[in-house]
Amino acid sequence: MSTSNPQAVTLNVNGVPYPVAIDTSRTLSTVLRNELGLTGTKEGCDDCECGACMVLLDGRPINSCSYLAVQTQGREVTTVEGLASQDDLAPLQRNILAAGGVQCGFCTPGMLMSATALLDENPTPTEEEIRIGLSGNLCRCTGYARILDSVIQTSVEINS
Amino acid sequence: MAVTNLPEFIRADGPDKVTGSGRYTADMTLTGQLVAKFKYGEVSHGRITKLDVEAARAIPGVFAVLTAADVPDVRYSYGLADRTLFATDIIRFEGEIVAAVAAIDADVAQQALDAIVLEVDVLEPITDLHAAIADGSPLVHEAIDTYEVTGDTPHSGNIATHSSISMGDAEAAMATADTVVTSRYLADASHATPIEPRAVIAQWEGDKVTVWTSTQVPFDARAGVCETLELPTSKVRIIAPHLGGGFGGKCGAHFEPHIAALARAAKRPVKLVFSRWEEFIAPDRRREAMIIDVTTGVDADGKIVARTGEILLDNGAYMADSSFFAQAAAMHVAGPYVIPAVHIDAKLVYTNHQPSGSVRAPTAPQGCWAIESHTDEIAKAIGMDALEFRRKNIVTSGSTGCVGQTYDEIGLDQCLDMAAASAGWGQDLPDGEALGISVGWWPSFAAPAGAYAKLHGDGTVQVITGASECGTGSVMTLRMLAADEIGIDETAVELIYQDTGAAPAGPGSSGSQTLFNHGRAVEKASRMVADQVKELAAAQLEANVSDIVLDNGTASVAGSPAISIPIVELAGASETGEILGSAAADAIEWPEITGSTCLGEQGFSSWLAPQFSCHVARVRVDADTGVTRVLEVHAVHDSGTILNPVAAHGQVEGGVMMGVGQALTEGTRYDDQGNQLNAGLLEYKLQTIADAPKITTQFVEIFTDNAGPRGAKGLAEAPNVATCGAVNNAITNATGVRIRQLPMTAERVWEAINDSEAAS
Amino acid sequence: MTMTIATTIDEILSGLSQGARPIAGGTDLVVGSRQGKGTLPEHLIAIDRVSELAHIEVGAETTRIGSGVTHATLMTDPTIVASFTGVSDAAALVGSPATRNVGTIGGNVMNGSPAMDTGAPLVVLGAQAELASTSATRLVDLDELWVGPGRTSAADDELCTALVIPNRPESSGSAYVRLEYRRAMEIAIVGAAAAVTLDGDAISSVRVALTAVAPTIISVGGLDAVVGQPADEAALAAVSEASSEQAAPISDLRASDRYRRHMIGVMARRAVEAAARRASGETISVPVNRALGVGAQS
Repeated sequence: MSTSNPQAVTLNVNGVPYPVAIDTSRTLSTVLRNELGLTGTKEGCDDCECGACMVLLDGRPINSCSYLAVQTQGREVTTVEGLASQDDLAPLQRNILAAGGVQCGFCTPGMLMSATALLDENPTPTEEEIRIGLSGNLCRCTGYARILDSVIQTSVEINS
Repeated sequence: MAVTNLPEFIRADGPDKVTGSGRYTADMTLTGQLVAKFKYGEVSHGRITKLDVEAARAIPGVFAVLTAADVPDVRYSYGLADRTLFATDIIRFEGEIVAAVAAIDADVAQQALDAIVLEVDVLEPITDLHAAIADGSPLVHEAIDTYEVTGDTPHSGNIATHSSISMGDAEAAMATADTVVTSRYLADASHATPIEPRAVIAQWEGDKVTVWTSTQVPFDARAGVCETLELPTSKVRIIAPHLGGGFGGKCGAHFEPHIAALARAAKRPVKLVFSRWEEFIAPDRRREAMIIDVTTGVDADGKIVARTGEILLDNGAYMADSSFFAQAAAMHVAGPYVIPAVHIDAKLVYTNHQPSGSVRAPTAPQGCWAIESHTDEIAKAIGMDALEFRRKNIVTSGSTGCVGQTYDEIGLDQCLDMAAASAGWGQDLPDGEALGISVGWWPSFAAPAGAYAKLHGDGTVQVITGASECGTGSVMTLRMLAADEIGIDETAVELIYQDTGAAPAGPGSSGSQTLFNHGRAVEKASRMVADQVKELAAAQLEANVSDIVLDNGTASVAGSPAISIPIVELAGASETGEILGSAAADAIEWPEITGSTCLGEQGFSSWLAPQFSCHVARVRVDADTGVTRVLEVHAVHDSGTILNPVAAHGQVEGGVMMGVGQALTEGTRYDDQGNQLNAGLLEYKLQTIADAPKITTQFVEIFTDNAGPRGAKGLAEAPNVATCGAVNNAITNATGVRIRQLPMTAERVWEAINDSEAAS
Repeated sequence: MTMTIATTIDEILSGLSQGARPIAGGTDLVVGSRQGKGTLPEHLIAIDRVSELAHIEVGAETTRIGSGVTHATLMTDPTIVASFTGVSDAAALVGSPATRNVGTIGGNVMNGSPAMDTGAPLVVLGAQAELASTSATRLVDLDELWVGPGRTSAADDELCTALVIPNRPESSGSAYVRLEYRRAMEIAIVGAAAAVTLDGDAISSVRVALTAVAPTIISVGGLDAVVGQPADEAALAAVSEASSEQAAPISDLRASDRYRRHMIGVMARRAVEAAARRASGETISVPVNRALGVGAQS
């Protein structure tokens, strides 16, 4: 066990600065969930194999279960709680619901973060690019079809 | 959060789930909560010679350490009461709990585990099914004859249950066959693998405990806590927050009793969250391994005349809910065929593996995979097209199946033809690609369930149900039923569910029963509300009650829509300001059978409202490596009336995908000591979205009497039945070789191709 | 425990000289510590914000890939895709978009796993690792760097600052292929990289290296016989046979040694074939695994 030696850092999450004192060994997902109360980010495996913990770091996806929280200082973290505006769901959130791409919902936050990053980088992905872009997010419920449909639909909306 | 731009029809829990505001069990924190960790046996078979927890108890920050000595001496489980909360003398599988600790944080809890002194004499693990049932085999449970037995559970030695189905004289009929085909198939164990690892939090207030847990079956969890901790029902409340998938894996009482006991001893709330490794090794809900031997005789016209079979199922170390598995497996090996003479014998065998239990259509994917592969072997042996052979032999409306059950209107023949047409059966495909077909079936289950419905003065309705929302969306469908009965918009219906403190008991989310049973209760309770609304309306409109129609938020007189009253006004006009309904679903009669189940009857031979399916898979096989990809699956299901198409399609797509994983990459590997080698998501490989086939789903909607609400049958498990068989038959059609072990990994496919090349 | 976030190479080297350990994306380090494979070092120095480490520089003789270049960059950077395509193939197969986003070539190389995907293509391309400390900078051949599974010959105070690859002659191509049980989220069960240069239709040089079939990544020797021959069935069969023979695979839960030995022949053949096709000017998109054969999009 490493010695307990909290570092004072400011984490920027969803546009909000959070001054916290945390052990260096703490992963981003545990700090988001326990200190910041942002439990939308899930933990399903703890070795980067399921994608439930996916968040964006400066707009690009990372597995927050395996990323040290202190390493994000000075950078912008986006979690699923940061996707919707005050009153409106983001188009992806709305479309995944409309398509029936949400069942148990445990993979959904991570899936949304991967899809958000994908569409930000490439607003007109091919079906294959979507499949590769979301391949780090396991879903056990849906068979993926409706998740895929919702990303395609969102891409169409973005570009029309 | 309140959102304003919702799509038109969505699941009620949807906004919580897409915004991250929905809380799952692991997301909850109670003031002062402690962290629970389990000390596991770590060997698959051993005798405990020393267990000393005093050093662990002495660590500052450790609030409770429990062993078998600290909880009531209760043996439990259905079928055979063969287990205790903590290992007593013998450790029977690697994930067996020896002790539990509650500590101030995870590090201290781990220190406590490390400080527990556990000494074990390692015993030879019993892992081979044939050896386990041979004379003189050491026993997994030496005191099995002293265990309490429930149901028809004939057992002896390492055989936990023994079941057979029998009709006619199979031996004599086999002798008349023109062609006889014999096959052996092996299926490895696999896992439910919900993405949410399970979590449990318990908190005591006085002599009452509330347990928040990731269970599919809150009432079963409550029963488990009450039985093992010897508590009355009224002292235990189970609440399931949002549930991150179950697939059967979260049925039963799992770790709720351990955490409740820890919280009581620690006098603090205690929280358990499993790691992925624990999720693989500890629950008693693994999909059972099987060895299937089957022989079928057909006559010169290609009609099946007889079938015999022997099945061994790996029960693992303890009974979970597996007592019906032998009989269920026998039904799948018989299959949805007209067979005049059948004898199939199935034994559920104890081993030192993790216990087997209900995982989405238990026994079916493996049994169906074997029998549907065998079916193609028969068709090949007599030179008949696989589709044609099935057309000739499957059960249809009015025909009598393998245990002498005569079916009412069923749609398996339509499933077969529609799936074949959808896939383009018979078309030329590129080299290395082929189609394969499989039929499948699964029963519906009737169970008692109740519901309350309340029409509030503001016109909204609250439905309180014992149903659980595993993800399937079937609880969401309950809103549609209530809304439709009362004549209001479904968005005005709120559901209270997954709380034993609020709802009447019910089976929860297990056995495809959510809509089938809870739906009937909700429909009836809502109808009671509607009847009262109609009476109030009739009085005000001076019409006959029987003429009142509720629709679109208004009560009106049939034929005179202009004469109407808003339902909200009637609700407010009732004496108490709200209108109440409460109901239990009516009992359903099980169909008669004329065959015999001989022994081991567990209610799995007569199939109520049977569901049928046909899947056609298109695969591409890389013959040089054996790597197989499923490109398309065409699934057609007869699940009776489809009430919620979005959810229904989602069930089929998810079930097919799980089937593709079971077919290709999902199999538990054990070392020679019976310990799992691939208890993680890198080595136990679920399919990714990059692997996902195009799935085409169609339904044959036949209104089914004596079934669920509005003629619906179950649907959640059925889609997981036929895919593996279709994939195997497609692999054979692509390569010319037959794969005889599930999962059909790249190496196994390559081995079969390589061996066949070497032989020729 | 502490973490310092470095912004210059000098800061890193100074930190390393005082006993800190470098962390880039941290995936291997953090997951490893959670799985009990090792504990997190007491002092970490984050090297992922040092822009000097993230450059790709094309020189007259060599191309220098900064150790902080991520897999996501390697799979799309026009220079790497055009000239060192096998590295792009390998980077594109690493984990998921998230792991490719944080994982770096330096981290991959210094982790020293025989299953690392970028290792074999770097070997066939003749790459050297540039190791720097406060006192010196040196270039090390990769077969001298990797001394065993997860072990390198680098000193604790040395930082891998770059991978340096000789620029390729005309008519050259490279490729990396691996055996995959699913199309994403895989780890190499076996893999093979090839670099081929053609003179007309004939192979003028060929190198093959193998992933996950020995304690370190190994080069296949004895391929001289195919030099001067076209990349035809006979040449591919010879490469395949030599690769199978020289592999020293183990049996584990991912595959038996027998299967691995056969598969390495298949992978080597496919790698050489794809490299030769690229050398002849054909465009095969990155990665080969998802462009050709069973892994190709539908």
